[in-house]
Amino acid sequence: MNLLLSDDYLLQDYPESMTSTIRSGHATMLRFNRTGDYLASGRVDGTVVVWDLETMGVALKMRGHNKSITFLSWSRCGRYLLSTCQGWKAILWDLETGHRHREVRFRAPAYMAELHPWNQYVALAFSQSSSTTRRFDQFTYIALPSNLFVASLFEEQPLLVDISEPVDVKRVLPSAPKRSNADSDLALKEKQAKEDAKQMTTSAIWTATGDHIIAGTSKGKLNIIDAKTLEIIYSEKICTGVITTMRITSSGRDLLVNSQDRIIRTFRIPNLAVDDLDPDTIQLPLEHKFQDVVNKLSWNHVTFSATGEYVAASTYNNHELYVWERNHGSLVCMLKDPKEEQGVIEWHPSRPLLAACGLETGRIYIWSVISPQKWSALAPDFAEVEENVEYMEREDEFDIYAQEEIHRRRLDAEDEDVDVLTADPTKEEEDLANFRMPILFNLGESDSEDEFVAVSTGTMRRRSPGESQADLSAGAEPAAPVRKKAGARGGKGKKK
Amino acid sequence: MSSPDELARDTPPPYKRRRTGDTPSPRSSSPDILAGDPDDFRPPRRVSQRGGGLSQSPTKAHYLNGFSRSHSLSRAPSESVPRSRSASSSGSRTRSQSPAHSTPSPAGTPRSRQRSRSPTSTSQSRSNSFSPEPQQQLTPPRELPKPNYKARLVLHGHTKAVSQVRISPNGRFIASASADATVKIWDAATGAHMDTLVGHMAGVSCVAWTPDSNTLASGSDDKAIRLWDRVTGRPKTTARKAGQEMAPLRGHHNYIHCLAFSPKGNILASGSYDEAVFLWDVRAGRLMRSLPAHSDPVSGIDFCRDGTLVVSCSTDGLIRVWDTSTGQCLRTLVHEDNPAVTNVCFSPNGRFVLAFNLDNCIRLWDYVSGSVKKTYQGHCNKSFAIGGCFGVLDGEAFIASASEDGDVLLWDVKSKEVLQRVHGHEGVCFWVDVHGETMVTAGQDGSVKVYRHVRHSGEVNGDGTRSESKAAGQGMLQGELPIRQDDVKVEDVVSV
Repeated sequence: MNLLLSDDYLLQDYPESMTSTIRSGHATMLRFNRTGDYLASGRVDGTVVVWDLETMGVALKMRGHNKSITFLSWSRCGRYLLSTCQGWKAILWDLETGHRHREVRFRAPAYMAELHPWNQYVALAFSQSSSTTRRFDQFTYIALPSNLFVASLFEEQPLLVDISEPVDVKRVLPSAPKRSNADSDLALKEKQAKEDAKQMTTSAIWTATGDHIIAGTSKGKLNIIDAKTLEIIYSEKICTGVITTMRITSSGRDLLVNSQDRIIRTFRIPNLAVDDLDPDTIQLPLEHKFQDVVNKLSWNHVTFSATGEYVAASTYNNHELYVWERNHGSLVCMLKDPKEEQGVIEWHPSRPLLAACGLETGRIYIWSVISPQKWSALAPDFAEVEENVEYMEREDEFDIYAQEEIHRRRLDAEDEDVDVLTADPTKEEEDLANFRMPILFNLGESDSEDEFVAVSTGTMRRRSPGESQADLSAGAEPAAPVRKKAGARGGKGKKK
Repeated sequence: MSSPDELARDTPPPYKRRRTGDTPSPRSSSPDILAGDPDDFRPPRRVSQRGGGLSQSPTKAHYLNGFSRSHSLSRAPSESVPRSRSASSSGSRTRSQSPAHSTPSPAGTPRSRQRSRSPTSTSQSRSNSFSPEPQQQLTPPRELPKPNYKARLVLHGHTKAVSQVRISPNGRFIASASADATVKIWDAATGAHMDTLVGHMAGVSCVAWTPDSNTLASGSDDKAIRLWDRVTGRPKTTARKAGQEMAPLRGHHNYIHCLAFSPKGNILASGSYDEAVFLWDVRAGRLMRSLPAHSDPVSGIDFCRDGTLVVSCSTDGLIRVWDTSTGQCLRTLVHEDNPAVTNVCFSPNGRFVLAFNLDNCIRLWDYVSGSVKKTYQGHCNKSFAIGGCFGVLDGEAFIASASEDGDVLLWDVKSKEVLQRVHGHEGVCFWVDVHGETMVTAGQDGSVKVYRHVRHSGEVNGDGTRSESKAAGQGMLQGELPIRQDDVKVEDVVSV
């Protein structure tokens, strides 16, 4: 509704400066919900925190994991949130109650699980079977759309998990690329089989319709998998390194791929929804390659902007966030405010707002645009003019009429038809009506403050990790936080 | 019973009469009330006569004097009416700078403040409002909606004037705020008294329901805002420190005059006599943003339906529309005559703003174009911050407003015609709230009245016989109500 009044569309549509910092424990993962009013963050200690962006305060905290959160995924309606942790499980939370709705266990640490874009009971999951340094090597994934999710697991094949039934159904997704030569000789086949055995899916994502899954492998191959038959209908080698992150725009037409070869690529996704889809005709044209040729930086994490017009990336061993625009593929800005390496970054689904979490402190940094106050809005008699204007007095401007006359004329002029009931039909509001996050008063002073605690007058000390949560995760296992912390340090984003 | 108009004119102010009959409530010894003048009784919704005990800035003192004068005038109505006030204070301040150029004034009529405040206009509208045919309203030819609200219950219990009354969003409860420093909760269907919320140290001017109808906020002359749990009738507790009650929201430097919750319930907006609008993070009980809103007490506040806009108004004659997320003023609305605005609310679809002016007019503003679309007249509003709202019956919207002669008026939005005029209270009727077929009013006489829309009524308004028979169905309630206080009484309406 404020769009009717604001000139914000005149402002630049990428963030320019850091506007706030929020903190609750050590965040490792961030995700905005579809409407962009809540931000979920996953912490090293396994807590999932939901932030209200309007108040920049904690809306909900959910405890159930005891290992570092690796991935988060919102359902379309915004009521369910799927979190995946290194502790071999994924939990689907019901935000209405703040309790777990479903829990899915894997045979290995899960590295990502993404809900099906329409069905919150299906998910895609990945997991990892050992805590080696090759963090992204292997995933099982869960795809959970409203009851379906893809998960990727380390050293395991990715899974498609359907939790619409009381007992969840896990189906393994193939990683081996599709071969076109059906009748080649035995030696070649053997060789291929060997190669295929090394192929591990490292990242996966749903297409916008949820009919297909796009998966990236450790060998730089990209597979498109039919979600119904679970067959790979298309595969292509798109890069030389491990594919670490894949993103898709909300329109579903563009794919963003980050890989270990230090290049970020964007692709156009063909229309996979056509009825007579011929797998042989699918093409995945490369659009842009973003890289820092001078510093040879590698990228921790990447994201599309709300419309897909921009691409942002956090850098490995470096403070800056890079923002490119996709039209020409040029770098538009570098955000370098906090002196901290940034891990996961997320672009707000509608506003020029970027959230990132620092690897060192686990703080969440937010960059956005500060729109200036328009002075003419404060004094309606004023108009902002670019240069001097000669004012032409109207013929009757200072004529004097009787008060009744003026009043009567005014009333007579009010013949316009007004509609005070019909809402703007262009806006979809059905979701707002569907789910409203309950307002919890019992969060009290959340640990969203800074990490310094007063020891005595004038003396501060840095809060040790996990300390602030001690009162709540009461006695879970006292030694755990430290271990988790170490695990996280060594892990995500740094080892590639 | 004689006509309310005569009462208002010819008898001494009715509240005095009522007061002498009452025993003063134990809480009447609270500091703020004592601070008032000895024959005290400071009706809370009233804009005038504030500040008896408080030191004021010169401007404000001036303004206040102007108003107390106006108040005394309104008791013995004369035509030389009070509107001297903002001419000299804020009105001229904001506007005088506007040079001859610019200012495309929407109505196109010449602007002259001095003239516009001449007594003629007021006398004209006055004569309207006192026109001696209050009841007999039109059954107009075109298909106007026909609200037919009949008084059903009178809720006694407050020992002083009731300043505001609000129906919960789910329609099941009624909250009433009173000058006796309490808030009472009633069952909207039966009129049963459910709880009395005690805690404020001075008269309560405003209440607001959260969207889930489980929490109430109340704002008082003790400068504090309190949040209450409807179920327990206690202040909201924070579960963190077990059982500890949430501290009231403090920060305003003067009386709290108006409150509104955002549609999600996460933000509470408050307007105060300290001329600021505060936005509170409800969960944390933290002041989130302070808007330097006005140059006079903030008299009304509302959120639009998607929560992105806040509108505030003040007796300085300005209506300001704010962006919730940035805290910036997006639009200021001023009528040419610059009448004080005492209450404001958004239309159901959020496209218009309804403003209650102290010149006996209610104006419907299109805030995008910045022009008045409709002016509703017929009620009496010169010195009190009376309130009203939009109502919807059978898909047709109407506007309800209280009137200082104790009546309630309902207008058709489009035709500006008065659809119904209901007698409400002896003395001033301060507030009316409509929820579907239920309407409640708050009166200076310390009572709350509940009305129901009666369909297919054979009679024209104002005849009590029918409502009597209806009310008889509920008569049995009288004996067995869960009354917690001796002074609480529900009586069925016999004649209106």
